[in-house]
Amino acid sequence: MELYGVATGLTVTSHDGRPIKVEGNPLHPDSEGATNVFHQASVLGLYDPDRSTGPLRRHGAERGAAPWTEFDRDFGMAMARLRAAGGRGLAVLGRESSSPSLRDLRARLAAAMPESRWYEWEPLTRDAERIGARLAFGRAYRPLLRLERAEVIVCLDADPLVAHPAAIANARGLMRARRPETGRMARVYAIESCFSATGVIADHRLGLRSELIMPLAMALDAAITARAQPLPEHGPAQPRPEAEFLGEPKVASFLATVAKDLLAHIGRGVVLAGPRQPPEVHALCHRINVLLGNAGATVEFLEDPAGDRPTHLASLRAIVAALEAGKVDTLLILGGNPVYDTPVDLAFGPALAKARFTVHASLTDDETSARVDWHVPLAHYLEAWGDGLAYDGTLTLAQPLIGALYGGRSELELVAAMIDDGVRDGLAILRRTHAARLGDDRGFARAVQRGLVGGPMPLERPTLLPFERFHLTERQRGGLAVANGALELTFGADTRLLDGRFANNGWLQELPDPFTKLTWDNAALVAPRTAQELGVADGSLVTLEIGGRTLELPAVHAPGQAPGSIYVPLGYGRTRAGLVGGAPNRGVTPVGADTYGLRSSGAPYIAAGLTLRPTGDLAALAPTQHLHTIDAVGRRGEAERLPMIVREATLAEIANPTYTARDTIRHPSLASWWQDPVSYEGRRWGMGIDLTKCIGCNACVVACTAENNVPVVGKEMVQQGREMHWIRIDRYFRGPADNPEITFQPVACQHCENAPCEQVCPVGATVHSSEGLNDMVYNRCIGTRYCSNNCPYKVRRYNYFNQNLAYADARNQVQRLVLNPEVTVRSRGVMEKCTFCVQRIQRAKISAKNERRSLADGDVATACQQACPTQAIVFGDLNDRLSRVVAERQSSRTYELLGELNNRPRVAYLARVRNPHPDLAAAAAVSRNDEPSRQ
Amino acid sequence: MTATPVSPYQGRPGGENVFARITENVARIAEAPRPPPAWYVAFGISVALLLIFISNLALVAWFGVGLWGTMHPVAWGFPIVNFVFWIGIGHAGTLISAILYLLRQDWRTAISRFAEAMTVFALVCAVVFPGIHVGRPWVSYWMLPYPNQMGMWPQFRSPLEWDLFAVGTYATVSVMFWYLGMVPDFATLRNRAAGPVRRVAYGIAAMGWRGSSRQWHRYERAYLLLAALATPLVLSVHSVVAFDFATSQLPGWHSTIFPPYFVAGAIFGGFAMVVTLVVPARQFFGLASLIQIRHLELMNKIILATGMLVGYAYAMEFFIAWYSGVTFEQFAFVNRAFGPYAWAYWTMILCNLAAPQVFWWKAARTNVWVSLAVGIIVNVGMWFERFVIICTSLSRDFLPSSWGYFVPTAYDYLTLAGSFGLFFTLFLLFCRYLPMVAMAEVKATQPSARVR
Repeated sequence: MELYGVATGLTVTSHDGRPIKVEGNPLHPDSEGATNVFHQASVLGLYDPDRSTGPLRRHGAERGAAPWTEFDRDFGMAMARLRAAGGRGLAVLGRESSSPSLRDLRARLAAAMPESRWYEWEPLTRDAERIGARLAFGRAYRPLLRLERAEVIVCLDADPLVAHPAAIANARGLMRARRPETGRMARVYAIESCFSATGVIADHRLGLRSELIMPLAMALDAAITARAQPLPEHGPAQPRPEAEFLGEPKVASFLATVAKDLLAHIGRGVVLAGPRQPPEVHALCHRINVLLGNAGATVEFLEDPAGDRPTHLASLRAIVAALEAGKVDTLLILGGNPVYDTPVDLAFGPALAKARFTVHASLTDDETSARVDWHVPLAHYLEAWGDGLAYDGTLTLAQPLIGALYGGRSELELVAAMIDDGVRDGLAILRRTHAARLGDDRGFARAVQRGLVGGPMPLERPTLLPFERFHLTERQRGGLAVANGALELTFGADTRLLDGRFANNGWLQELPDPFTKLTWDNAALVAPRTAQELGVADGSLVTLEIGGRTLELPAVHAPGQAPGSIYVPLGYGRTRAGLVGGAPNRGVTPVGADTYGLRSSGAPYIAAGLTLRPTGDLAALAPTQHLHTIDAVGRRGEAERLPMIVREATLAEIANPTYTARDTIRHPSLASWWQDPVSYEGRRWGMGIDLTKCIGCNACVVACTAENNVPVVGKEMVQQGREMHWIRIDRYFRGPADNPEITFQPVACQHCENAPCEQVCPVGATVHSSEGLNDMVYNRCIGTRYCSNNCPYKVRRYNYFNQNLAYADARNQVQRLVLNPEVTVRSRGVMEKCTFCVQRIQRAKISAKNERRSLADGDVATACQQACPTQAIVFGDLNDRLSRVVAERQSSRTYELLGELNNRPRVAYLARVRNPHPDLAAAAAVSRNDEPSRQ
Repeated sequence: MTATPVSPYQGRPGGENVFARITENVARIAEAPRPPPAWYVAFGISVALLLIFISNLALVAWFGVGLWGTMHPVAWGFPIVNFVFWIGIGHAGTLISAILYLLRQDWRTAISRFAEAMTVFALVCAVVFPGIHVGRPWVSYWMLPYPNQMGMWPQFRSPLEWDLFAVGTYATVSVMFWYLGMVPDFATLRNRAAGPVRRVAYGIAAMGWRGSSRQWHRYERAYLLLAALATPLVLSVHSVVAFDFATSQLPGWHSTIFPPYFVAGAIFGGFAMVVTLVVPARQFFGLASLIQIRHLELMNKIILATGMLVGYAYAMEFFIAWYSGVTFEQFAFVNRAFGPYAWAYWTMILCNLAAPQVFWWKAARTNVWVSLAVGIIVNVGMWFERFVIICTSLSRDFLPSSWGYFVPTAYDYLTLAGSFGLFFTLFLLFCRYLPMVAMAEVKATQPSARVR
């Protein structure tokens, strides 16, 4: 699957010819067997009933279905005419892609039609990274993070763990560098405007407006340069920038500690900047990394496969200018949805009308499709042959798992049709591109089976160029406080819908945001202090105004958000997404607010001068966990019990041999007078969850949804707390609202030995299995819900309605194909919950038996475990002394959630460990003991 | 028959002696050709509510219990609140009939029939809820232990299973008790019946009662035995209902005080309901001479006493939570009083603790309208008590991530209102066709019956 020009290798489970479950390809460098939410949810997109079923043609104001043959004739005629003209007037607007086949086709297209133009646009562009590298090294290099080698990691508005093309590999790498049991734990510093997964993992985090990161990076560079004695060719020592906020004690001490720690770990530190930051910050990071000898150690460089292309913004500007100038006769938009996701000030939509003949290929009939002459359905990636490059440049091949459900064609096939040199089929295109490298059928088959070919691209050793001191704006030299009207507005990828392309995916819409826990909505994140100053109640509607454009959307209090900075996720407010994501023309109101409406080409990521006005109305939000602001009683109660629920320690504390996480609560002995009714002589399944490793990425939640046929219930039901997820990730804030710590805690059924649910079921619908699973017998359940009431973890989910009625609708029949046939689909009135993926246990047992061997540790992987990028979840047989799950339980960090209730849960948690720097630890300890701030 | 069409109930009952007057006073109500207009109004409202009830339950059975506001984490909402409320109401009847009978409290005879009828009807209302609140009501019979080809047996460790038997036993005994007491009175009505329909109907109901001394002897024995059997049930049924909560792990439920506390609360609520029903009945049907102010006053004293018991339980819950030293327990009670559901808690305190305090004054105790008002208030309070216990405790349990706020839907309110429709429909039919006061028993307590 390719997203933003980086392909991740996946393996897909197919049942009766229908792909139902995506897993990472263990051989692939960007996946190592794990996945993210988008990979997991993509399989639902394949069966989206709103996908286009055939080409749509515009006749004047009317649009109507037309057969492919008609499109082929029209398109073929246009292309023949253009080929005769050398391609003059032909423009293609594509997405960023690393596909070698597409590159090859583009070269052929350029050869056949030299006058044609190819443009690229991605709304969440990472161009700043590339330009920054060019600034620092003179050429575009791609930094390849080797976090496993790092001791000190400094992230400037960067989230290498989730919002990064190689996020899974980065997360794995970081966790290899953070293993408390070994005593080695890379220290992570995060400086960011809004909470990211990296900010959660960070040992120290500073909430700072995004625009102030640049002066901070300059100050860091100055501090490092002053001590690191750069070589003459690295340029002069940079003077410390004059910025008022740098004098703030908390900023100054933070910065001093970061610089000190980096200097203490020469060659073992790394400084990163996020895509939101301007190229200058990236250049500064490269400079610091080179000066400290980190380059080549913790960060390596590859030549960027698309290093010389113009930036996406420049490309978009160019095509709009060409359209406006009437230079575009025929425009083919390949994928993407530019009418929806381009900056408003460029007015792409109106410009589109100036082209004579426009074609848009996409999965659904979306905002852009509505404005073109021909909309043609695109093949889903699971339906088409394809290729791409991993982040490290490894060639990745993709094969179709199912014929095109709706006769869509792949991007490669559409481009090939433009060239018309006889090779039009996806497989043939792929074979032609890689003929030299893969050779005969056998070589190709082997490559397809592995899914990847060869290894990464060769590493480069770039040399640092000196660069001038960067210019700072007035705002960047100012203090921390900003007035309303001058607030900062930052944009970013949504954790669930990315840039909006997944808006019609119910699994993702109903996935709670890791930080706000909102489903089915986006909201402006406001620091509690800023909100208080502006009179914005938690969960109320506000009007944002910037550059003369306004937008009304809900605002939520986000502890840890930098004061004065407002963050809005993109990707919502789709008007032609479909029946899930919104389609007013079909009677479905858009989900969330379209924040692209505030985004201008001048400030696509960080915009200044925002005015925020509360409207006084409350928004109807659907969070799965209460919003930040609750009553004082609840807040006090929560703070009081948090140390018991989420146990935390510092690296120094756990180094003490007397430390055990279980000691956090003193309670009477739980020893029983009676013998256990079951002796568990065979298997005894158990799970371990390491809170130190959980980054809250949600991959486990979607993986579980996909594996276990968990239904999507919709916003109204979530508002009533009726979401059905079998595993949830609890998010807890600790400490002051200005600078809190977040801990994520994945909670699924704990499969208690002494299960309170089993005790109270009057019909014995939930019982213990001989292998220690707490089984749910749907057939026997009459739905008293007593088990849920008595479950201290509240992990049981109840079917209040028949969620499968949606399939009765003829339009949704296709969606049935996504169901896992190994898992019962539950009807209404029954309770359901995590089964420890009992179907996977059975499958593993059967295959072990067929292979005449005994079950080995690791043969059974639950869906959540398999998807987890950080391997925070382990599962295995507690009777197997050599299993990883038993080994993990030897740790002094092990504790049972609410174990004092004598439920004897089968899931053990490992306490969250932080590795604070001694200089900042004292301050952190004080703040942690603070009463949480009240609103 | 002497009843006049204008006002059949208000005239002085005829008859040459006190026994005849008692018979006349009670029997004329059932024999009147038409009930008073107020009965029609009340019956119309009740039947309308009953229809709402039936249609609500049909909708819920058809679409799913999701129509109610029950949610995660509050998986038990109004239906179980209503169940416990009605079970509680159903307490006073047997208490008055059985325990007070065994204690030879003669004043109970005036109100016992009423209270027993109320018990039976409240039980009817109560048992509807557990049946319909489950997700798949068509298989709720799986809770019964019956031989089946699945080889499945209910799970007897579950308090819901105990509940089934406790309520079932109590309902059976209550119905038998009620019916047995009515047999001599049915015979009276049969003997007085003017038309063949009545004669046959009451005749069947009277089961061949002839009033022979052998029959009276058997009757007295049976009544005594049933009273002895019913007495422990009064204590057991609500204790077992309390086990549903007490044996669970949930802070706010998990408490050993629950059984006695629930029984006290049930008697409290049950008596309040008797007062609520008796006052209008004696006003409309001219029973003031039988159900006297003296009886009302005694009931009000019991309301005051049990109200104080309940108040003591409220206080002890807080004390025990504090004394336990368990964070979760302590929070459950602080949250109950000061959390998002504080309004419900203080409504309960006001209704159950404050309102009955007026009964310290004799003037209030002996005023029918004050009694009626307090009776209604206490019933509201007792409903809220169950709401507070069930919903508030569930809304915030161990893990703050799962906390929620239960908001009832229109279906919840209509179901609750509808259950009153069922109750009052049955009760009004009882007032119309059955002997409202135990004639035979009242006669037995008259001074002239005491032959030495």
